[in-house]
Amino acid sequence: MRWALWHRTTYTYDDEVTDSLGVLHLRPRSLPYQRVLDHELSLTPVPGDAAPDVDHFGNETTFFQVRTPHTELVVRADSTVEVEDRVHDDAVLAVPWERARPAERRDLPDAWRAIELALPSPRVSRHAGAASYAAASLAPGRPLGEASYDLMHRIHEDFAYDKTATTVTSTLDDVLAERAGVCQDFAHLFLAGWRAHGLAARYVSGYLATTPPPGKERVVGADASHAWVEVWLPGSEGGGDWLALDPTNDQPAGERYVTVACGRDYGDVPPVRGIIFTEARSSSLKVEVDVAPG
Amino acid sequence: MTALRDYADRVNQPELSDPSGSPTRWDEMVGPDGGLRAPWKALASVAVGLTEHDLARVGRDVTRFLADDGVTYVRPHGRGEVPWRLDPVPLVLDAADWASLEVGLAQRAELLDAVLVDLYGEQTLLAEGVVPPEVVHTHPGFVRALARRSYVDPHPLLVTGTDLGRGPDGAWLALGDRTQAPSGIGFAMENRRVVSRVLPELYREARLHRLGPFFSAMRSVLMQSGGGETADARVVVLSTGAGSETAYDQAFVASTLGFPLVEGADLVVRDGYVHLRTAGSLERVDVILRRVDAEWTDPLELRGDSRLGVAGLTEVVRRGRVRVVNGLGSGVLESPALLPYLPAACRHLLDEDLRLASVPTWWGGSEEGRAALLDRSDLVVRTVDDPAPLRLPAEDLRDRVLADPGRYVGQEPADLSWSPQVGPSGAVHSRPVSLRTFALQHGGAYRPMVGGLASVLGDDRSVISSKDVWVLKASPEDPDQGLAEVLPLSTLRAPEVTVPRVLEDMFWLGRYVDRAEAALRLTLAATTLAEEARPATAGDQALAVVRGAVHRLAGPGPGSSPETDLRSVLLDGRRVGTAAHAVAGMREAAQSVRDQLSADVWRAFGVLDRAAELVTDSPYRHQLGEGAGRMLTGVLSVDGVVASMMRDQTWHVIEAGRCLERALQLAHLLRATTCVRRGLDVDRRVLDAVLVATESSVTHRRRFRGHVRPASVVDLLLLDRANPRSLRFALVALADHLSGLAGSTGSTRPERLVADLLTRVEETDTATLVAIGGVDRPHLADLLDEVLAQLSRTADAIAELHFSTGPAPRPFPHLVVAGP
Repeated sequence: MRWALWHRTTYTYDDEVTDSLGVLHLRPRSLPYQRVLDHELSLTPVPGDAAPDVDHFGNETTFFQVRTPHTELVVRADSTVEVEDRVHDDAVLAVPWERARPAERRDLPDAWRAIELALPSPRVSRHAGAASYAAASLAPGRPLGEASYDLMHRIHEDFAYDKTATTVTSTLDDVLAERAGVCQDFAHLFLAGWRAHGLAARYVSGYLATTPPPGKERVVGADASHAWVEVWLPGSEGGGDWLALDPTNDQPAGERYVTVACGRDYGDVPPVRGIIFTEARSSSLKVEVDVAPG
Repeated sequence: MTALRDYADRVNQPELSDPSGSPTRWDEMVGPDGGLRAPWKALASVAVGLTEHDLARVGRDVTRFLADDGVTYVRPHGRGEVPWRLDPVPLVLDAADWASLEVGLAQRAELLDAVLVDLYGEQTLLAEGVVPPEVVHTHPGFVRALARRSYVDPHPLLVTGTDLGRGPDGAWLALGDRTQAPSGIGFAMENRRVVSRVLPELYREARLHRLGPFFSAMRSVLMQSGGGETADARVVVLSTGAGSETAYDQAFVASTLGFPLVEGADLVVRDGYVHLRTAGSLERVDVILRRVDAEWTDPLELRGDSRLGVAGLTEVVRRGRVRVVNGLGSGVLESPALLPYLPAACRHLLDEDLRLASVPTWWGGSEEGRAALLDRSDLVVRTVDDPAPLRLPAEDLRDRVLADPGRYVGQEPADLSWSPQVGPSGAVHSRPVSLRTFALQHGGAYRPMVGGLASVLGDDRSVISSKDVWVLKASPEDPDQGLAEVLPLSTLRAPEVTVPRVLEDMFWLGRYVDRAEAALRLTLAATTLAEEARPATAGDQALAVVRGAVHRLAGPGPGSSPETDLRSVLLDGRRVGTAAHAVAGMREAAQSVRDQLSADVWRAFGVLDRAAELVTDSPYRHQLGEGAGRMLTGVLSVDGVVASMMRDQTWHVIEAGRCLERALQLAHLLRATTCVRRGLDVDRRVLDAVLVATESSVTHRRRFRGHVRPASVVDLLLLDRANPRSLRFALVALADHLSGLAGSTGSTRPERLVADLLTRVEETDTATLVAIGGVDRPHLADLLDEVLAQLSRTADAIAELHFSTGPAPRPFPHLVVAGP
């Protein structure tokens, strides 16, 4: 499928901002199943300094600094991307999950890199509740594919999708106690549970193309950034294959999912983060995302 | 029997050896045969002559010298500032002992540098299983923002620190490495300075390596590390501020090297470079010697809540446009979990065997490490990111290790060597010592400082004192530090840099100096009255008026007796408006700009401290006046320091602060004392006290000869253009000093405010001011109220124009990724 992506972030301040520095993770990744046909990034005001780079996880980032005094900063990313469904090696999905611990698979050339994603991270800390929650999906010897799908199903079943239940500072404790959250929380919960058993998985930031309800027009800008997870598959041909699962929607990520960036958790790959110098007392943020068939 | 001979005899008492007869510990001064070790033999003629009495005196000299230099150490976790402690007996090593250690230290620094390059580059150590990836990935010192292909730094380590201990067999063992921002170089230099002064004969005898050339080499290494033209390289020392544990060390290093000491808010990223905000302009920075841990250095990409950093610094570092020393990624090397893997890493990266072994260490993340942590109760356990050992019951420790084994290491308690330590009475004790060493990347290799900083440890292994470290030369012709070619530092002069924060601290230094002086003179006037006053006399009433002037600024004090009140004015640093508070303010301001001031300023604080002790210790009333007098001597000696400063902006801003404060204090004093009539007898005594408090009695006598009258006092203190104690004089001087600041144009707001006030003062006359309305002098009161209000506006305007650095950085608002 080919998708036209449109992502606009607008920051508004009640007083002049004299200096604004930021780091963006907005360019979709180039992957075996995803081609970036076109990508354009624009900021208003135009930054005096902007430079692309590739981060530790292979994501494309952009650093910028805007020194034109402004009360509104608009970051706009337009991309055209072609995505295919992913194909995995059935034999790998069938291995017992215990064989997917990278620390114990030094026979595989890419295992050492996956170890970083089997360890706790700032927002996916070691958590006993998440560990025991995930344990129910990890019966001894269970095939890796089956176990990971089961954890995804259970999170979808057991947790309510509720935008009011969560904040930027929501922790695993909050999510487990409330039994509710949003996609970012579900991804973090999956990662905490999975990693607690020595398995590797990463956080994925991207977009999901939504279908409007029957009889309704598509509403431009009503989409949002999305988050899901990828599970490390040991010993796949060529190495480095990951199984993408979306616990929020209880489905594997296929051709409707556009991958932008991946990391240990949300903190590694926020779409926009930055620092401002201002006397402004209040600021507000509006995000508009649209994923349309291109 | 002399003190050290006595020590030598005690060291070889049988209880200190185990039954097999082999020594259980190494003594740094005394050999197993009971004789002095080789390096001490060379010093024996002087050293052995020292008696306990001599050593007690030397100990007191050390304390006094350190206080005069203002050397302090701020204890962590807000436990306050304590004097730096130094044991007078140095740790002495001879050339042979040092030579083998030096090779090991140089190799270790080279290895750590190579490990760092590998971890932020190819990561062959991880890919080939030499170092478990968990060790690196779980350590907070591993900075992912630099683990990118775009960041290349072939030698990120310029200065390393390694702590050493010496076992019973005499071999040195590395206890740990300090690689982010090793502290202690400044303390080492200060220790040397003090010991060479208190034990001059011993120092002369010793033929030891002097430290100076190490600093010169460090300076040139830093200037070259920016990669550009060395002569123009701008180097700054990034400090955590005056409240830091090692603030003294930071300021000492900055001023010795001749680089400005700055804080995060003084730096700003523009056009892809780091700049220093100096008064009125921006200046590009090539090299940052940081004393801030990496995670706090950039709120954009590292810790978002940091106020100590520079937003965008990481990006500038990645672009190679500023050199941070040591590299921002170097904290990972401080993980003790790396220690077990260093021998293999050394073979892998340098193709050599590791010469300087580390203290045996087990990391809980490995099978055998976890087993050792759980089975061995003798291990000292700590987390991988905190050097402090965990002191927990065995059960709790076990639970923690089981829950997250990779977070812990266990280390064999290091055998340390012992060394003499002088107690307060001059008696010599035997205590364990550890040694911090430093190595500098110089001319393509690492050169260890020939010397170091030793720590004397107490029974619980906490540091109780430091020691100087003397490394003796093999031959008197050996160049100091083995560095013959380095230029001495004295040929280099630091260019003037004034960041707004420094100007602000200088301004307040000036204000507090004059505030302290005014408060002390007023206290002296009050004590004189208090000594003479009988109840219900004119003298008693005058005392009440003068105390009213004290209370106008300091509020009513504790207790009703004048003595308790005045004692509090001298001693209570927390009571705002007192002399003690002003002295505390002086000290705080001076500490914040320590690198810019002559060390003589700390002598003044030494005098102040001893004067305050006199007041504290003595119950006698007459000691109040004596104490206040000595404190005044201390404050006045700061005048001398200021008088010999360069006539640059820094000096102008101190003087501006002093003039403004002098005018303010005078207005407050006169407002409290001369605006109401209280009868001739009382008024005369009050006016006399006012003249004493404004140091104008003599001038008044010379100018007016006759009696003290309100008109003569008002004329002399407000309107006289020649009296340096007058309001008019202070305002003229203030205008003059303001015009010396960058950013002044002659018509800036502070300059206009002062000019207006001066006109107002010049347009009035004595007769109008002393004119009476009822019991009051309404015109005088009005003028003084106007003066106070206008001066307060002026102070605000000065701050806004000259000291403001703009708003603090803060993060963008956040959004939850809620997803469809």
